[in-house]
Amino acid sequence: MAFAYAGGEYVLEGENLEVEGAGLVTVLGPNGAGKTTFFKLILGLLKPLRGRVYLNGEDVTGDPARAGVHASFVPQLSAVRKDLPATGVEVVEWALRGYSGDERRRRALEILRSVGAEGFAGKRLSSMSGGQLQRVLIARALARDTPILVLDEPFSGVDPRGREELVELLSKLAESRMVLVSTHDPVLTLKRSRLVVVFNRGIRAVGTPDEVYELEMLRKAYGPGVLVIEKCLHVIG
Amino acid sequence: MYLDPRWFAVMLGSAAAFSALSPLVYARRFNFFAASLPHAALLAAALGYVAAAFLGGSPAAWAVLLSLPPSLLLVLLLHKGVSEDSATSAFVAFTTSAGVAAVYYVLTSFPARVSLWSYILGDPLLAGWEDAALAVAVAALSIAASLLLLQKEVSIGLDSDFSSLSGIRVKLHDYALAALLTLVSVSLLRAVGFVVEHVALLLPAAISSRLARNTREFLALSVLPSLAAALLGLLLAVQLNLAPAAAYGFVLLAAYLISLLGGGGA
Repeated sequence: MAFAYAGGEYVLEGENLEVEGAGLVTVLGPNGAGKTTFFKLILGLLKPLRGRVYLNGEDVTGDPARAGVHASFVPQLSAVRKDLPATGVEVVEWALRGYSGDERRRRALEILRSVGAEGFAGKRLSSMSGGQLQRVLIARALARDTPILVLDEPFSGVDPRGREELVELLSKLAESRMVLVSTHDPVLTLKRSRLVVVFNRGIRAVGTPDEVYELEMLRKAYGPGVLVIEKCLHVIG
Repeated sequence: MYLDPRWFAVMLGSAAAFSALSPLVYARRFNFFAASLPHAALLAAALGYVAAAFLGGSPAAWAVLLSLPPSLLLVLLLHKGVSEDSATSAFVAFTTSAGVAAVYYVLTSFPARVSLWSYILGDPLLAGWEDAALAVAVAALSIAASLLLLQKEVSIGLDSDFSSLSGIRVKLHDYALAALLTLVSVSLLRAVGFVVEHVALLLPAAISSRLARNTREFLALSVLPSLAAALLGLLLAVQLNLAPAAAYGFVLLAAYLISLLGGGGA
């Protein structure tokens, strides 16, 4: 698949990627690497210049409604407007299909409970912390009941303790579905990932955490800022 | 103090119509469009007179028909990647220039038949039963449309990518909202006036977005203060011999300022 914004450099230049089965897949790369664009291509929200996107065998290229049958999405917190007077319960209810009235409310609360968001789900989104909002957005994505869950930088804007809890939650969710997570922090999801995709203006490496968490592999994404000091691997920048 | 029921119907109907659409405008960040819409409505009203004079039919019906293409063209430009600022600038440049030309033509060619002052200043006190019925009908349409669309528009406003993945046709909603706002603005221009239409479309949701605790309250707290402002504005206007639309605008503005003190929302 190849993609570039008008007048911009290529974000993908003919790479191919195939991922199968449940588990946590980390798309790792620095800020500005094009991870969000990569996810938008997978989800049909952007159309590639060349190539096709298949989800569960169905061609979903440039067709978000079709992609949405197979995959749900949790955007970056910064991409969600918080000034609108919507509550956590409401946004989860709206994402549900095939339910109505009390049943819909009950199901929404059930999903919110499953991600530990029942305590603050009645609050306005603007009153929630980053970690709380992230849980509500995950619940909203789960309400779509898709086999693939895509999360764009879910740890940004979340405090350190909240991050740990989120990693736990995502690991649990990945037991029964494919969970794609983008992050610029190579440490957070490393131990929990089944597969790591190193991404920086293209797919630089794909492998298990052991295969990818090597100096040369990480330098492909982060450049010379990756240093080994006293047998520890440090990533700067 | 004489109070005609038609004044209430026109003022309350107009207030309800605009304030029911206001949360949709706020949710979709259509403020740029709503703010430029009265220019297009004034142009359409003037062209409506010209078209009716030469081709027959109702000026109001012509105005509604002629107002839609520029609005839909603006949305098309945005979808084609033209920036909001550029597209709005071009839209306002066209509608204001053409509007002034059309108003000038109408005032100089049909001076005895037409008073465009009510379109500029708004004059519910001149309303007949037909105007009253129109205001009530448009209010009913606006409220029904808002009840039908609000959830989806807020959903798109929160996060359009997720909405697209959920099967909501975001672009279609853009056109539908633009058409709805245009129809209501043109229909009620005479009652509210060109100047106060900006206020009537923009302020109610600015108030309710601060006070509402959920989306249902977002609509209710947009409509109720606007109705109260229309009622109070009308009474003040009759009592103090003020322009009713202006009195409504000032009361609504006062409500907004009070909401700034009390609300903690957005």
